[in-house]
Parts: sequence; structure tokens; C-alpha cells
Amino acid sequence: MSGLRDKLLRMRSSAAAQAERLAGMVTAEENGETAAQGESADVADAAAANAANAANANANANTFDGLDQAASSDSGSVESANGLSSEWEELNVRLVESTEGSFLVRESRYPVMHRHGIHQLGELADVQQHLDVFRKPEQSQMDYSNLLFLDLETTGLGVGTGNVPFMVGLAYLQDDVFVVEQMLIRHPAEERAMIGYLCNLLPSFTHLVTYNGRTFDWPVLHNRFILNGFRNFKWEPIHVDLLHPSRSIWRNTLVSCKLSHVEEERLGITREDDVPGSLAPAIYFQFLADSNPKPLLGVFQHNEIDMLSLAALAIRFGHLLGGGLGEQVAIPIEAEELLRTGLWLERMGKTELAEPLYTLLEDHPRISPKCLCMLAERDKKCGNWERAVLLWQKAVQDAEAANWPDYEAHIELAMYYEHRTKALHMALTLAEEAHSIALRRHTVLRSAQNKRRTELELIRKRIDRLNSKLQKWNRLEHVE
Amino acid sequence: MLRKKNLSELVQQLRSNENVINWHEVEPIEAKTNPIPESVDARIKAALAKRGILQLYSHQHTAFETIRKGENVVAVTPTASGKTLCYNLPVLQTIAEDDASRALYLFPTKALAQDQKSDLNEIIEEMGIDIKSFTYDGDTSPAIRQIVKNVGHIVITNPDMLHSAILPHHTKWVSLFSNLKYIVIDELHTYRGVFGSHVANVIRRLQRICKFYGSNPLFICTSATIANPRELAEQLTGKPMRLIDDNGAPRGRKHFVFYNPPIVNKPLNLRKSATVEVNQLAREFLANKVQTIVFARSRVRVELILSHLQELVKNELGTKSIRGYRGGYLPNQRREIERGLRNGDILGVVSTNALELGVDIGQLQVCIMSGYPGSVASTWQQAGRAGRRHGEALVVMVASNTPIDQYVVQNPEYFFERSPESARINPENLLILVDHMRCAAYELPFKKGEEFGPMEIVDILDILEYLVEERVLTQAGDTFYWANQSFPANDVSLRSAAQENVVIIDQSDVANVKIIGEMDRFSAMTLLHDEAIYLHEGVQFQVEKLDWEHKKAYVREVDVEYYTDANLAVKLKVLSIDRTVARGTTSINQGDAAVNVMATMFKKIRLSSFENIGYGPIKLPEEELHTSATWIEVKEVDPTIQTKTLEQLLMGISNVIRHIVPIHVMCDRNDIHVVSQIRAEHSQLPTIFIYDHYPGGIGLAEDVFKRFDEIKSAAINLVRRCPCEDGCPSCIGTEIEGIGAKKQSIQLMEAL
Repeated sequence: MSGLRDKLLRMRSSAAAQAERLAGMVTAEENGETAAQGESADVADAAAANAANAANANANANTFDGLDQAASSDSGSVESANGLSSEWEELNVRLVESTEGSFLVRESRYPVMHRHGIHQLGELADVQQHLDVFRKPEQSQMDYSNLLFLDLETTGLGVGTGNVPFMVGLAYLQDDVFVVEQMLIRHPAEERAMIGYLCNLLPSFTHLVTYNGRTFDWPVLHNRFILNGFRNFKWEPIHVDLLHPSRSIWRNTLVSCKLSHVEEERLGITREDDVPGSLAPAIYFQFLADSNPKPLLGVFQHNEIDMLSLAALAIRFGHLLGGGLGEQVAIPIEAEELLRTGLWLERMGKTELAEPLYTLLEDHPRISPKCLCMLAERDKKCGNWERAVLLWQKAVQDAEAANWPDYEAHIELAMYYEHRTKALHMALTLAEEAHSIALRRHTVLRSAQNKRRTELELIRKRIDRLNSKLQKWNRLEHVE
Repeated sequence: MLRKKNLSELVQQLRSNENVINWHEVEPIEAKTNPIPESVDARIKAALAKRGILQLYSHQHTAFETIRKGENVVAVTPTASGKTLCYNLPVLQTIAEDDASRALYLFPTKALAQDQKSDLNEIIEEMGIDIKSFTYDGDTSPAIRQIVKNVGHIVITNPDMLHSAILPHHTKWVSLFSNLKYIVIDELHTYRGVFGSHVANVIRRLQRICKFYGSNPLFICTSATIANPRELAEQLTGKPMRLIDDNGAPRGRKHFVFYNPPIVNKPLNLRKSATVEVNQLAREFLANKVQTIVFARSRVRVELILSHLQELVKNELGTKSIRGYRGGYLPNQRREIERGLRNGDILGVVSTNALELGVDIGQLQVCIMSGYPGSVASTWQQAGRAGRRHGEALVVMVASNTPIDQYVVQNPEYFFERSPESARINPENLLILVDHMRCAAYELPFKKGEEFGPMEIVDILDILEYLVEERVLTQAGDTFYWANQSFPANDVSLRSAAQENVVIIDQSDVANVKIIGEMDRFSAMTLLHDEAIYLHEGVQFQVEKLDWEHKKAYVREVDVEYYTDANLAVKLKVLSIDRTVARGTTSINQGDAAVNVMATMFKKIRLSSFENIGYGPIKLPEEELHTSATWIEVKEVDPTIQTKTLEQLLMGISNVIRHIVPIHVMCDRNDIHVVSQIRAEHSQLPTIFIYDHYPGGIGLAEDVFKRFDEIKSAAINLVRRCPCEDGCPSCIGTEIEGIGAKKQSIQLMEAL
């Protein structure tokens, strides 16, 4: 063994290997107790511990029959009644077994009265039917809703076949209890049993609620079904990926649309001593190496809060879709959030809920020209010219006072006057104003040469066309 | 106006040219055909008939029958002998029989894959069967990717894409891998050296995944003429192969002419530029409207020759009828040129080796090569571009000043009598192997006892355990699982020689700084040090700064009258001696060696006269390379030869060997290094080392060990035949003092 190792290390600088080793480890600062152990143990020891862990796990799987376990233990650790060593006790997990093997489940039960941030979990029952709007056209309507929340903790990034979900967090309402059920595999060989269990569980739900699950959690799980021999498993729920509405609404209002940020800013949730999700893989790899489950508690807790926050966020969007804005959910203070909420509701087919928000915006004290134009654009599309013109005019007015004006509204208005009311003079004045603003902006902003040129050229063309139209017009008038 | 001469007259005229030093004629061959087998679907037959194919050439016929019997095949076919039908016919037939069948085509480059797709789709359309073939590469749009994955019958891609995009995401390709019937590997001969060693491992990974999904595809390989097609195909795929080489395509008479430009500087043995001669020759053919292809070694050379030719014949022909062809042209531009060549609208084309590979341009009458293409196989491929199925063709190779070129044209028997080179790969190179075992473990867990190539199970286990120690894998029970956050395929590039390359950044235009190339670390020490003059596609750049830590070289375009030549202090330490053959006063050894390299200083040398016009220091850290080597020790030396002279003689011989070896073991010049030492560290004996320039070695030095006598006699021949008086840059170099250096070198070599 060491011969091979020496040869490899000789051939390439050992730096790369070192970096790789570190990538799989928790450093001392991150994890006091275990790291001390990890540091002192050299790599071979770690591997031995790992093998022991696996062997132990196998023994558990093969010989488990309840009471026998404590006696047969030779590692000196005390086995609890359910066949797990005492170290696991603090984690509050139980062993689940099937013909495919075993894995662990940690279950936490919350009464529906439980408040997570500003929302109560019980609100879920009131709003879940509103989430039906996420249904794809080809999906048939259900006469009941049964929501499943899902969040994975995986060993890496991306959706490649080597990225393993070592923890699968699920949550759902069961009678009057909100159940968070988290599965953990103690080594990759347990995955098959866990996936088999999931395949049995999933089909009883109608909705899948995730955060970025469309591009991450679900494709990763899909890989696992195939890799573990459940190639034909089929479940086609209504997938509610809450990242999408979050982005639609908070794209510019919040600095980040990460769940942990959204929950803090909008759901009144603060986490204490949270283990960041990005550390989860390293903690798991450390566990694989030293078999000490204690640090996994932090990952369980992090994932558990993610599940609760996911529910709270679903409640919020459910309220929005059910017309609860102003009642269960506070009306956004910032104009852009208000506007984007309206636009999102409209996209979800709730125009009647969006309209009152737009009305609020008309008199909003701090509405940016950009928002004015966005709303005007929306009005233009649905033929509400009257308000569109008002909004553009307001934006043009604001531009006069602004240090750093934009000219989008000028152009829109110019187009409106030229084509709809034939007020060519007005159109020309606006186009010229736009041109001078554009010139000013571009000399300061070093935007890309080409873009700048085409933009200016477009305005120039508009001015030329307006001028020639005006001349023709004048001639005609003259003739008459 | 003069009457246009036809090819026969031009050939006669060339016979009397004094610079022609060898004339070889290849006799014409009649077509050997068989009827299209009964079992072929009527719709396919009809589509073939529409293209005028009513019979199959014997090799196409054999390929079809052998594949249908369920055997893996490698078909060796010269250029334009209808090789694509060797695989398209069985593949299309199988899909016509069972719509669920899938095939995967591998081409070494994206361009070839795209050519193949358009060609294939034409036949499919004429067949009137709904068979979907797609290319899958970096250019494939996300919208189409989904369709390719789910419903593509034939997926055409390249090894790099397979390695980094398809295999690590195999779960998205369930329908392909579950129903895969054929894997087609075209241009097999391009998979050699480091690249081939990587690809062999990618194919092992591919086979693991096929097994997982329950398919067991057949391999259909096609190759240009090399010495060991079957061995290479078996090594690449790990499957027994049936060799098909009964080429039945007809061929007309072919004249193969070696042309050596006249000497213009006797003392330096400098000859007239090959480019100028090529221009003159090509002009003559083009002016007489004889369709001609010119091959040049670099893209810049292509452009140079092209503009000369267009100028020379602008009175006789429009410039549109002479075109360039090289990588970097847009696909539809290339398609247009190919079409023009096929239908005769284009009379002349100047190309890099891009046209050496399977692109269909029909058959031209004359092929002119500017310089020896570097290998026998490659030369025959280029020569194959001229030669209609009926009628005469002419191939002219114009030699340049380099030792290889001079050796080849002066030893025509070497070229014509020798079988082409063997293509060597070493998929078991530990570094390459371990990299791909990582990737493989990422794709599917490894079971204890599982095979990976021809490796012993215990060796595989050894590597898996090593990867567990490195915390890349974790073991549970008898299975090894991927347990790392990284995406291993990203760290493995199939094409770069060393793992970490130096990126070359052109900052001539401050507003448009761009990367123009990359170079492996070891070469960078002598070619990209501060102040080095670096030639890139014929343009001179000066290195302004080599950022060794970040592996970046910043260069700026310059126009100077000198080049730079760095001194490299090389220390060689023998780590293990695996084999020794004593031969009289010398011995040849093969084993592992540690090479320590340090660049010390560089000289500036005037381009026109080779005078030394300045020098400077190079400040770079020492580099170490562990690799496999072959070395020759001189145990007894003629006491009349002084040490100083011996040292120079060894250097001269090394110079010759350096040029000869790549010809004999088929590798790039950079893949193998030759170093001489007057007192080797381990034995204190005068020694010449030949080592693989890749960590761990890729089997080249071993090959040298096996074929040393062949290489030795080729080296002696080169020196003996060189017309110089007593050493020149084309043979042993010019730095040897005293009279009789050539004679002494030959004597010394004969004793080796």
C-alpha cells in the first residue's frame, strides 16, 4: 500500500493530494471536540475507524434482534434499547429496518399552535389549497391537498451521480401535528434502504414543496432512484419551488434570496448557533472517518429549521394567493416589492388580487422611475393606456429632478404620442430629451461601446423620423 | 495562348527536375465488390442506390457481416475508401429492425462529429425511417440536450464530452445506456500517447456504466493505416477485435515524389525554403487547372502559402478558386469549401492536417506536402487526398531543412518499406489510472473484486484503499463509495500533457488581452521564461513576465531579428533498473528515473547567422519529474578520445536520437526527451538517457528499449547520408570541434 502511495506522491506534487484530504475534513476551529481527535489520528487510523464503523453498521444490520445487541458489543460502547450506541441517544434517532437494510430517522413533532417566526404552523391547513396554482396544465386536479416539504443535505454540489443526499429532510401535516422526519444514512451502503423507504412514502402526497428543488433536490433524488434500482419509480406531484416566487418578488429588494436570508427579513425567524449548510458535507465526511455522531446534531437542527422555514414561507405565499395581503401578511413598504408582488400574483392568474396593489402604487411616496416604467409596461400590455401615460409622465417629471435620470419613459411616451395620438411635436421634444440624457449617461458610464452606439443610434433614428414626419405634416397643412 | 497541360504531361515534366531525389510509383488496383447482403433493409438499399451504391466494397461487406455476427471490429481503411459505411450500415440496419436501439459515435474532434451528423442525416432522410441522430457537445443548446438524451438513436460526441458531461451524469441518459448496441470509434489512430491513455480509461468507465444499465455494446472502430490497429483497439476497448483490412476500394496509378530543395549555403548545409518551392510547384499545377491540395504544418504557413498562390495565379484563375482550410474557420465556411472541392468549383486548397482526417472532399489529382508531416501514417493519410479511383495522381513531398525531413527524403526505403508506426498507449500509467478511477467511483460505487481494465484485482483494491486514505472514497462492507465534495472529472483533462499548464496571455492590445495558448510546465521553463522570444503560429512574442506561481506567461508581440535558446541543467537520478542488456562495451537499461530540471540562462541568437548576440539569467525553481527511462551506458571508451570530445560527441548523438525517436515510436517531439551525461550520477559512466516527458511515463522509453537497434541504425544512417561536411544542425549539430566529428560519431554509435 505504501509503495503505491509513495509512487503517486513522488509523481505529482503532494500539494494536490493534501488539498483533497483537507476538502473532506473539518478543521479544528469548526469542530472542537472531534477535530482534536481527527488531528491526532493519522490517515490510516481514520481509515481503520471508518472500516470499523462500516463493520459495526453491518453487524447492526445483520444481527439486530433487539436485546442481543448489548451483549455482543465489543467496542465498549453501551447499546440502547433500539440497537444504537448511546452516542446516538442525544440525537434522538431511531433505527428503521427493511429488507433493503437499515438507516436512521429522527422525528420531531410540532403542535399546529407552534409559531415559527410570524406564522403559526396551523395556518398551513388554511392556505394549502391556494398552492394549487403551481399545477402544470397537464396535471390533473386533486380533490385534496397533502403537502410534503423536502430539503436534502448532500455530500457535494451539483447534480452529478456522485453527489449523495446523506440526509433527507421531510415534513408534513399529520392530523393536528406538523411532523419533521429526517433520515440519515450512516454510510453510503444504507442509501438503498432509505431510498426504498422514500419510494413508499412519497406517493401519498400531492404537492412537493422545496426551495430550489427544481434544479437541485429533485434531480439529485431522481439520480438516487435510478442508481439504487428504483428506475421505474414514478411520482408526479405538483412541484412548488418557492425559490421562484421569492426571486420574482425580492430580486432587488433583498440582498440575497437564500432561504436563511429571506426567513430573517420577511418571516421574522432568527436562528441561533446555526451550522451553515455549506459545512454539512465536511461534518458528514468527518463522521464517516471517526464515527462520532455528535456533530451531526448541528446538521439535523439546521435541516429541521430549514423545514420549518419552508413551511412558513409556503404559508406566506399561500396567504398572498388567497388574498390575505394586508391581513395575514403585511403590505410591503417598498414600492418595488409591492409592485413585484402584484406582477407575480398576476402571473399566477390572480389579476384581481394584483389590481389593488397597483392602485396603492399610484400614490406611493417613494416609487422609482424604474418601477413606474415597469408598471406602465404592464398597463401598456393590457391596454390600460390611461394609467400608463400618467405613470410615464410621472417618471419623466422625476427625471428632471434626478441627478442620474433614465430615459426609458421618454421613449415610451414619445412612442405613445407618435403612434397613438399623433402629437408629433410632443414626441419630438421627448425624443430629443432622451437623446441628451443618453449622451450624458454614456459619457460618464463606460458602458460597452457597441451597446452605447446602437442605443444612441436608435434614438437618433426616432428623432429623424419624427422630423421628417413633421415636415410632411407641415407641408400638408400648408397646402390646405 | 498556350494550351493547358494535362497531368500526364506535368508528371513527365517533373521527372526531369533535378531536385527530385526519389520517384516511387504505386500500381493501380481494381475494385473488389460484393453484393449488398440480403438482410439489409429495403429502405436502406433504396437510399444507397440513390447515391449510386449498388455493391459494397469487400471491406464494407466483411465489416457488415462480422458485426452482425456479434464481433467487435477494427477496420483499417485508407482515405476515401468509404469507411463510414462500415459502421453506418450495421447501425442503421439495427435501428431499422428495432427502434429502441441506440448507438454512440465517438470522434476525436467536434468538427468531425458535425461532419458525420450532416452526412448521416442525408442517408437517413433518403431512407425515410424516423431515425434521430444528434451531436452532443459544448455547442448543443440546452433545449436540444433534453431531446438528445431521451430520443436520440445515434448520439455523436467526443471523448472529452463523454468524460466530463455524459458519464458523470449518466442517470440522465438511461435510454441511451440501457439500449446501447454499438459504440463507434472513428479515427482510432488519433487515440495514442497521453490522450489515448486517457481515452482508454474513459472507455472503461463507459463500459462500467453500460453494464450497470444492462447493455453490452459492440465496438466498431475505424483507423488509418498504423502498424498495430488491432492491438490499439483491443487496448482501448479491452475487447477482442476482428481486424478488417481487405480494402476493396479501387485506386488509380499514383506517383510519389520526394523533392529536396537545392542547397543555398554550403557550410551550414542550408537549403532553399520549402515554402518557396511549394509555391512554385503548386502554381504550375493550378495554372494548368489541375486540382491540387497543399498541406502545410501550421495555420500561419497555410495563410502564407495561400496568399502567395492567390497572387501567383490571379491572372489565370479567380482567387475564389483557391482556398485555405484550417481549424478556426467557421463550420459553414468549411462546408462550402468541401462542397466546392467535391464539385470542382474550387481548384486548389491549402490546408493544415485538418483535412487529413475523415472530411469528405472527394479526390484530387495532386497533393503537395510542405515538409514531412511527422509520421508515416500521417503522410499516407495526406497522400491519400490525391488519387482518384481511376486515372493518375501525383504526390510531392517537399523537404524542409529539419533533420527528420532530410532523413526521410534521403532514406526513401525507410518510408516505403517500413510499415507505419505503432500507436502506443499506456492506460495503466498510475497517475492517469488513478484519476479515472476517481471519476469512475464518482459515477458508480466500486465493488470489491470489480475489474477495471486488465489490472489485477489486488492492484485495483490497492488503489481503492489508497483513495480511502486520501478521503476521496469511503468503504462500507465490500463496496467503495465516492465521499468527497469535488467533481473529479473537472480536474482531469484528457488532452493536456502535464497536469498543470502555463497559460500564455497576449497583452499586445491592452484593451483586448487574450489567451493564445498553453504549455506544459517543463517546456515553459525553457520557452516562456522572462524575455524569451516565443513563436506562436509564426508570430514572434516576447515574454514580459512569467508568473510561475500562478502559471501565467504574459507576452507581447514583437518583431526582432533573434530567437532565444535556454540552457537547461538536467540532473538524472536512476531510481530503479528494471531491465539491463549488456552489449560488448556498452549496456542498455530500462527503469524509473527522477529528472531534476533547472533553467539557468538563455542566449539570444541571430536568426540569419546563428551568432550569439547576448544572454540573460533565468530565475526559476527546480522542477522534478519521475518517469520511465531508457539509457545507454558506454563502459569502455577508446582512450584516444578526449573527455571533452566525448562529451560533445554524446551531445551530437543525443541530438540525432532526439529527432529519430519520434519517427520510430510515433509520438510528438515533446513527449520524449534525450539527455547525455559524461558521468552519470549512479554509475559515473558516459550515458545517454531517453525518457518519457510525462509523470510516470507512457511507454515510449520502453518502446525505445525494445527497438533500440532499429533506432540506432536509423541514427547512423541519418548522419552518414547528411551531405554536410562535418556536422550541421540537420544532424549532429555544429558545436563539435576538430575534424572528423561525423566519422567519430558514427564509430561511437556503431559500438552502442
